[in-house]
Amino acid sequence: MALVFKYSPLPGLERTGVLAPIVPITFTNGVYEFSTYALIDSGAENAVISTVIADALHIDWSNIKQEKGFGMGSQFLFHRFNDLKANVENNEFVIDVCVVEGIYVFKCILGRNDIFKKAEIKFKGYENKFELIFRKMN
Amino acid sequence: MVHNKIDFNNLLKGYKKGWVAISSSHKKVVYHGKTLKSVMSKSKENKDKLFYFPSGEKYSNFVG
Repeated sequence: MALVFKYSPLPGLERTGVLAPIVPITFTNGVYEFSTYALIDSGAENAVISTVIADALHIDWSNIKQEKGFGMGSQFLFHRFNDLKANVENNEFVIDVCVVEGIYVFKCILGRNDIFKKAEIKFKGYENKFELIFRKMN
Repeated sequence: MVHNKIDFNNLLKGYKKGWVAISSSHKKVVYHGKTLKSVMSKSKENKDKLFYFPSGEKYSNFVG
């Protein structure tokens, strides 16, 4: 079944009228659970969460090897954490995330190596909505 | 299944830099604080599911 979400208005975007594809998501790491909102970004290779969110999930990121990543015109430091449970509207899946230090604005992003492999995604920007159809993995 | 628009413009209006806890209906802010830790601490007694999101941010000119 397709989940249809409307694009979200965000502070600062009023001037352009550009909206953002955002989904509510719950992460679970053992007994720790954290719910937030994630930007769905086809330009992102991997899922990203901030160190603050990682702390809330009791992920000991500072003891995971630090790596360098890059975005548009800048570099960042991150730590890979594998097999984090995620749930979007009762669709459970497991993803690997990059815990990024000093992340700016969006604290949680889903990308090509995770949500795009778990669901068919149709962006309908002209209607300000997008659809997720989760694959049956079992 | 069609979900209602989550309007962060309205939800976050008037909240300074920090974090908010948003109700599971995605329609109202239940708690606000300067840090995520402080907001989660305020939320401890609340048994409803809450969604945490930064407040006081500007999302214009993001390229990703």
